[in-house]
Amino acid sequence: MPDFTDNLKPLYDGVQTLVDERARSKINVEELAKHLLSRDDFYERQKRVTKILEGEPLFSKKQNLNLSRPDRYHVGLARAKALRRLTLKHGWDDLDFRMAEYLVDEVSPYHLHNSMFQQTIREQASDEQKAKLMPLVDNYEIIGCYAQTELGHGSNVRGVEALAKWDPKTKEFIIHSPTLTASKWWNGSMGRTANYAIVVAQLLLPKASSPTTYVNHGPHPFIVQIRDMKTHQPFDGIVVGDIGPKYGYTSMDNGYMLFDNYRVPHSAMLARYNRVDPDTGVLTKSGHPAVVYGTLTYVRANIIMHSRLILARACTIAIRYGAVRRQFKDRDAPNPAAVPELAVLDYPTVMIRLLPLLATTFALHYTGEAMYNIYWGTRKSIESGDFSKLAELHSASSGLKSLCTSFAADGIEVCRRSMGGHGFGGYSGILPLNNDYLSKPTVEGDNWMITQQVASYLIKKMETVVKNPNAASKDSTDDLFKHYLKSRSSKVPVDIVRFGQVDDQAIVEAFRWRAAHLSYLAYEARIVNKGKWNNLMIQLHKLSNAYSQTFLISHFYDAVMKSPLSSPTNTVMHDLYRLFALNTIDSDSHSFAATNAVTSASLDRIPDVVLHLMTDKIRPHAIKLVDSWSMPDYLLESSLGRYDGRVYEDMYDRVHRHNPLNKITFNPDWRNEEIVMGSGSGTQQVLAKL
Amino acid sequence: MSRNPDWVKALQPSSPQGHELLQQERSSSKLAIEPLSEFLFGREAIERKFNVLQVLQSEPVFNKSQNAFDGRVQRFETALARAKKLRRLVVKHGWKEEDRRIAAELIGEPLPYALHEGMFLKTLLEQGTDEQRKLFYERAEKYEIIGCYAQTELGHGSNVRGLETTATWNADDKTFTLHSPYLTASKWWIGTLGRTANYAAVMAQLIVDGKSCGPHPFVVQIRDLKTHLPLDNIHIGDIGPKFGYNTMDNGFLLFNKVKIPHVSMLARFSRVDPKTNQYIRPSSPSLVYGTLTWIRSTIVMHAGAALAKGVTIAVRYCAIRRQFRDMDAPDSVVEEMPVLNYTLVQYRLLPLLAATFGLHFTGKAMMELYQENQKSMQANAGKGDLLPDLHAMSCGLKALASYTAAEGLEVCRRACGGHGYSSFSGVGGFYADYVPTTTWEGDNYMLTQQVARYLLKSARAVLNGESTSNDTTNFLTTFRSRSDSAPVFDVLNFDADLVQAFAWRAASMTFDALKKRDDQKMAWNDLLVDFYRLSKAHSQYLVVKNFFESLSALQTAGSLGTETPAVFRKLFQLYTLHTLDSESSDFLLSGAVTVRQIEQSRTTIMRLMKEIRPHAVRLVDAWGISDFQLDSSLGRYDGKVYEDMFHRASELNPLNGITIDSNPNSDVLFRSVGGENVKSKL
Repeated sequence: MPDFTDNLKPLYDGVQTLVDERARSKINVEELAKHLLSRDDFYERQKRVTKILEGEPLFSKKQNLNLSRPDRYHVGLARAKALRRLTLKHGWDDLDFRMAEYLVDEVSPYHLHNSMFQQTIREQASDEQKAKLMPLVDNYEIIGCYAQTELGHGSNVRGVEALAKWDPKTKEFIIHSPTLTASKWWNGSMGRTANYAIVVAQLLLPKASSPTTYVNHGPHPFIVQIRDMKTHQPFDGIVVGDIGPKYGYTSMDNGYMLFDNYRVPHSAMLARYNRVDPDTGVLTKSGHPAVVYGTLTYVRANIIMHSRLILARACTIAIRYGAVRRQFKDRDAPNPAAVPELAVLDYPTVMIRLLPLLATTFALHYTGEAMYNIYWGTRKSIESGDFSKLAELHSASSGLKSLCTSFAADGIEVCRRSMGGHGFGGYSGILPLNNDYLSKPTVEGDNWMITQQVASYLIKKMETVVKNPNAASKDSTDDLFKHYLKSRSSKVPVDIVRFGQVDDQAIVEAFRWRAAHLSYLAYEARIVNKGKWNNLMIQLHKLSNAYSQTFLISHFYDAVMKSPLSSPTNTVMHDLYRLFALNTIDSDSHSFAATNAVTSASLDRIPDVVLHLMTDKIRPHAIKLVDSWSMPDYLLESSLGRYDGRVYEDMYDRVHRHNPLNKITFNPDWRNEEIVMGSGSGTQQVLAKL
Repeated sequence: MSRNPDWVKALQPSSPQGHELLQQERSSSKLAIEPLSEFLFGREAIERKFNVLQVLQSEPVFNKSQNAFDGRVQRFETALARAKKLRRLVVKHGWKEEDRRIAAELIGEPLPYALHEGMFLKTLLEQGTDEQRKLFYERAEKYEIIGCYAQTELGHGSNVRGLETTATWNADDKTFTLHSPYLTASKWWIGTLGRTANYAAVMAQLIVDGKSCGPHPFVVQIRDLKTHLPLDNIHIGDIGPKFGYNTMDNGFLLFNKVKIPHVSMLARFSRVDPKTNQYIRPSSPSLVYGTLTWIRSTIVMHAGAALAKGVTIAVRYCAIRRQFRDMDAPDSVVEEMPVLNYTLVQYRLLPLLAATFGLHFTGKAMMELYQENQKSMQANAGKGDLLPDLHAMSCGLKALASYTAAEGLEVCRRACGGHGYSSFSGVGGFYADYVPTTTWEGDNYMLTQQVARYLLKSARAVLNGESTSNDTTNFLTTFRSRSDSAPVFDVLNFDADLVQAFAWRAASMTFDALKKRDDQKMAWNDLLVDFYRLSKAHSQYLVVKNFFESLSALQTAGSLGTETPAVFRKLFQLYTLHTLDSESSDFLLSGAVTVRQIEQSRTTIMRLMKEIRPHAVRLVDAWGISDFQLDSSLGRYDGKVYEDMFHRASELNPLNGITIDSNPNSDVLFRSVGGENVKSKL
C-alpha cells in the first residue's frame, strides 16, 4: 500500500558513502578473496550455491525472528527436507551440501543425522554392521542422532549414568536409566526427528568367576531404534522428547531420552574396536581407535576455520555500518556547522573495538591454514599410526580451539555493541549469529576445562627438558624450552618498538619467551613445589592462552613474510599483523613485563603505535578488507551490513512491510478486557495458552 | 495430563540430591541472612515486595512457563494482557507507585505501558505548564490517554542536537507543523509507541521565523481514541523483533506536515509567545541535567540487583552440579567435585558476587548524595553546588556499572556449562533484556568523554590554584603534591591504602591526558581511547571508595554481629584486588604499586576466594530474589534443579505434543499436533 513514506530518503546517502570508501583503497578484493577462500574451492562454490538458495522462497529468512518455537522447528524441518531434495536435484557433493547448510545459517533438524550419527557408524561400526547400516543412513531411510551427554553430565564422558547390561541368557543388552540425571539431554535431532540413536552407555558384563557380579567396562556406543518407522511414536520403555527453548538453536529439536530396562540385540553394540563375545560374554579389544587422535585435530582445525568466518561476518556488518552511520561533529573541526557528522568508524573508541577483531580474522585464517597443511602433510604417517609429528599440533589445537571460539563468541558481542541501538534490533543480522554461536565455548569440551590439557602437556614437556637438557629435541617446543633454560639467568627484556619502528621478529620472540617462562612457572608450581592442581587452574588457563597466542602470532608472521599478495595488500596485511600482535600485548602487558619478555619503555609506546596503525594504515582499507571475506548478502541477512550501504532504506522496508505485528490493531484501554481490537476475545484467550 | 509414564515419574536424580547439597551449603556458614537483607534493602521494602509477590503469584496471567516458547506476536499479546492486569491490581489494592514498580520488576518482562508510566508522565509533569498538566497529565495519570516518549530517531541516538524531525511555528494561524523531512528522521526504538500509545511526547527541532531553536518537546495525539488507528498523515508501527525486549512494542513514527495547536509545546522552561511570535529561552537548563543524574544513579544501583540475579543462579547451580574428580584426591574418593569448588569457577563467579554488593553500595551512596545536594541547594540558594561533580560521577559510573552487569551476566551463563544455554537457566533472558542499558541514557563509550572533560577541567583548576574543594580536586591535589616521590601503597595490608592506590592511578591518568591535550595539543578524537580508560579508572575508584566506606556502616550496624562485616571486608578486598590485577598495567605505569605486589595480590586473591567460598550460597540468599522472579530451573532456592528441568521439558513443552514425519521424501511435516491429525505440508 503506497503512503507518504515511500519517497523519503535518508539524510546521508549510505550508497555513496560505501562507493567512496571503496574508491579510496587500492586493495584488489578479488585477489585477496581468492587468497583467503580458495581451499576446497570455497569461493566459487559459495557463489554457485547461494544462487540456488536465493531462488527458493522457502529459504527466505525474513520471518525467522518473529516465529514461535514450534513454528521455527516446523519451518526448520521443511527446510531440512528441501535441502535433501536440492542435493539430489543438483547432484551436490558433501561440500556443496555443507555450504548450503552454512548459507541457510540455521541448524537443521537432520543435522546430527548427517554429522555425528553417520560419522560414528563409519568409524566405530564393524564391517558387517557398516554394510547393513550405511546404505540406510546414506539414503535417509533411517534418521539418526547421537546420545551421549546427560542431564547430570556433560564434559566428563566417563561419568555417564546410562547402563547397558549384558544378559547372557537372551544374549541381549539391557539399556537402562537408573536415575533422572541419567536422562540423555541436549542431543540434537532427537527430540522429535530421529528414529534411531547412537546411545553411549556404561557397558556392564558379568564376571566369569561369579556370573551375578557385574563389572563396569566404561562407556560404549550402541545403536538403538527409538521410534516406530510407521507411527513415529517411541517404543514402550523409551521416553523421548524435546528439551524446550534455548538461547539459540531454535530450529533444532535437542532432546532428552530415558530407558526402562529396554532390550536391544547383541548387534546393537558398535563393534569395530570392542566386541562382546555372544557366547562367553567376554569383552575383546582389537586395535586402537588411534585414528581418532588425527580426526580430532582435523575437527579442531575446522572449528578454527569456521570461527574465522563467524568473526569475519560480525566484522563485515559492524564495519560497513560503522562507515555509514554518523554521530556528532568533530570537536576540533574549524567550522563545525559546515561539515557533516563524523562516521562512527572514524572514532578511535570504535576502531579500537573493531579493527583488532578484523586483524584477528586473518590471524585465525593463517593458523587454520597452517594446521590443515601440517595435517595433510603428515597424513601418511598418521594413517600408518605414527603420530609423533602431530603430537605438538594436537596439543596446541585444544588450546587454540578454546582461544579461537572465545575470540569469535566475544567478538560477535563486541561488534553488536559497537553498532549502538540498532545492534540490538532484529535487522542487524547479528542476533542469530550471537544466539547460535554462543554455545560454541561450551560444546565439545568446555573452553575453561580443556585448557587444562594444554597446560598439563606443557608441564610434562618442561619436566622432561629440565631432567634431560641434552636430549635431542622432538619439536619446536623442546627447542624453545631448551633455549629458555639456557638463557633464563641472563635474560634481558627486548624492545619491540623503537623510534616508532616495530620489530616484527622481536614480537614473535617475545611471545615465545613469555610462553616458555609461564610454562616454567607452572612446572615449578606443580612439580617442584607440589602445588594443588585446583589452586593452579587459573594460572594454567592463562598459560594455555599464552601458548596458543604464540601459535597465532608466529603463523601470522610467517604468512606475512612470504605473502604472495600484490601491493598494497601485502603491506596492509603486514600492518594487520602488527595491530593484532601489539593489541594482544597491550591487553596483557603485565605478563610481558613480569616475564622479562619486553621492555617497559616499549610497553609504554604501544598505545600510540596502535592508534597510528589504526587511523593511518588500516582504517582506509577497512571496507575493502571486509569485502574480501566475500559474505553474500543472503548469508548476512542484515540491513546494517548490506554490501550496497542501503542501511536505512532496507531497515524501514523490513519494519514497515514485513512485520506481522503491524498487521494487528490492539486495544490499549486497561479497563477493556479485549486485547486485539474488534476481536471481542479478551484475556481468556491468552490464558488458554498458559 | 502428564505425558510421563509411571517409571519415569518414579525416577530421582542420582545422589547427592540438590536440595541436600544446598542445605549443607547453608549450614556450613553462620551468616545471618535476615538482618543482612534488612541492612541492604530496609525492612519496609522487603515487606512490600513480599506482599506484592503474594498477589502476583495468585494471578494465572503472570504464569511465566510459556514465555520462551511463544512467537513475537503472542509474546506481545500476553504482555499487553499482563499490563492491563497490573493496572487493575494497582487500582484494586490501592498500590503506590513503589508497589507498581516492584510488581513490574517481579513480572520481569518489559510491559507495553512502561513508557507511559515512566518517561511520558515524567515529561508532562516536569516540562508542562499548569494548564498543560491539567490538560494532559491528569488524564494520563488515570490512563485515559496512553503516551510514549519519542526522542531517538532512525539516524540519531545519543546526539539529541542532531535530531531531524522539525516543528515549525506558523505565525499566521498560531500552530506548529510537525514534519519528518528524511527517512532517517523517523522516530525509532520508541517503547510503547508501536502498537499501544495514542499520545506521544515528541522531541523536534523548533523552527521560529526560519531560525532553528534546538530540540523541544511537543505533546501530540497520534491515534484515534476510538478506532486506535493512526491519525491522518501520521505513520506508526512496531520496529520488529529484537535481541531482547520482545514483549515491548518499540516503534517508529513519521509525520507528514501535521499541524498541532500552540498548547502542544511543553512550555514550562521555554516557549513561543503567540502574540509576538518570539521564542523565549529557558532560564536554567541545569534542571534537566539533574533528572538525568538521578536516572543514572538508579541505573548504578539497579546494576547490582540485575547482576545478582545471574550470580544467584550460577552460584546455586554450581554448588549442586558436579564434574570430574579432584585431580589430587586419593583414589578412594569416587565422588565428583561440585563445580563451585573449582578455583577456575570461583575466579569467575566470586568477584562478580563481590561486585553486586559494591555496585549496590555505590548506587545507594550516589542517590543519597544527590538528595542531600538538592536539599542544600534549596537551603543555600544554589551555593556549594555538587551537581557538576555528581553529574560526571553518574556518567562514568553508569558506564562502568551497566558494563559490569551485562558482561557479568554472560559470564554467569557460561559458568553454568551446557545448561546455561537452555532457556530454563533464566540467565540468557536477563542478559538479553538488560544489555540495552549499556546503550541507552547515554552510550557507555560516549559518556566517558563527559567524565574526561570534567576531570581535565578539575585538573586545570588545580594547576591554576583556583579549584573549589570536593573529592575530585582533593585527590588531584594530593597527587600533585606527592608526585615527585611516587609513594608505593601497602595495598595488601591496609584497606585504606587500596583505596588510595585507586585514587592515585586515576589522578595520574588525569594528568597524563591533560598533558596530551593541553601541552601536546593532541586532537580530541585521537584521545578518546585514553579518555575511555581514564573514565573507567575514575569510576573504579568511586566503587572501591564507596564499598570501603560502607564497611564501617556494616560494622556499626549492631544487628549484624562480627562475622558478616568480616566477610564483607573480604568481599571488598576480593573485588578491589581482582580489579587491580586485571588493570595492573595502569597501576604499574602510575607507580601506585610494584610488580611484586601484583604477584602477591594473586596469592591473596586465591586465599580470599577460599575464605569466601563457604558463604557463597548464603550471600546470594541475602539478595532475597524469589523463585518467581528468577524463573530458573538452575537457580531454584530449594536446589531441585534436575527435577524442574525435566518437568519443564517434558510436561510444559508444546513441541512434545507434535508428531512429525521424518522421511525427507514425504511432503508431510507435522502429522499430528496435540493428538489431532494435521498433515502440514511444505
